[in-house]
Amino acid sequence: MEEPKKIPRDWEPDILAFACHYCAFAAADLAGVMRLSYAPNVKIIRLPCTGKLDYIYVLRAFEQGVDGVFCAG
Amino acid sequence: MIVGKQKSIDEVWAMIQGYKKVLVFGCNTCVAVCHAGGNKEAEVMASMLRMKAKQENVDIDIQDSGIERQCEHEFFESVTERIEWADAIVSMACGIGVQFTAEKFSTKPLMPGINTTFLGATEKPGVWTEKCQACGNCILGMTAGICPIARCAKRLMNGPCGGSTKGKCEISKDLDCAWQLIIDRLTALNRLNEYETLIPIKDWSTDRAGGPRKVVREDVMV
Repeated sequence: MEEPKKIPRDWEPDILAFACHYCAFAAADLAGVMRLSYAPNVKIIRLPCTGKLDYIYVLRAFEQGVDGVFCAG
Repeated sequence: MIVGKQKSIDEVWAMIQGYKKVLVFGCNTCVAVCHAGGNKEAEVMASMLRMKAKQENVDIDIQDSGIERQCEHEFFESVTERIEWADAIVSMACGIGVQFTAEKFSTKPLMPGINTTFLGATEKPGVWTEKCQACGNCILGMTAGICPIARCAKRLMNGPCGGSTKGKCEISKDLDCAWQLIIDRLTALNRLNEYETLIPIKDWSTDRAGGPRKVVREDVMV
């Protein structure tokens, strides 16, 4: 079993966000239009609807090393 | 359709120990409908096993694949290479598919990824119930379309028994008494007089009592 690594003080988790095209993604888009900044460690993937979120997408994200998955819609 | 229930990740993980290349192999018909062993479930199982391998620091290559039915020769043609690649296969099919695949690839170790539970129907999303025991001698014509062999705990041919209370079976308050259902349906069909007809002793030789069964039809052979 792998030993848990010590978390550095400046560590930020890699977060993957699945956002609905019609609400959450639109809000993120609006934030961009308004030149508001938000955390760079959150990467957004647009879905046509969060109903499209399949659990295999979440598993694939974890397999590829993200620390957390965020779903908004 | 055939209903199945997925085995736990730990059980599958224990079965694949010692192999270096494992193929999780889905069957996309019956067991896909009950969300147990379809190609999608195979993909999810493979992903979970890869994460388990990473956690346990085990060097193992786990891939997934699948076909429409693991109980027919034709469907295997497209995946022969994938199967040859693997040291071992976790078949997500019912017991039929697992055995059929094992017979086709006689030198390939095969493990079941699901438990085959029964022949049943989808009542609503997430609920499956047993409806048939494949006894080989259907009596549904005499029992208003409700099978007392599959659905009565005692397989009574003439019921109900004394354990039937308020339409429920004595083994569980959640289980309908099959004979109550038969009487209710005969009443609805205005055929309750048929209930008086005793059903004769059933010939069980067509059931498993006669050993493993086989159907041969020369008219459809090629």
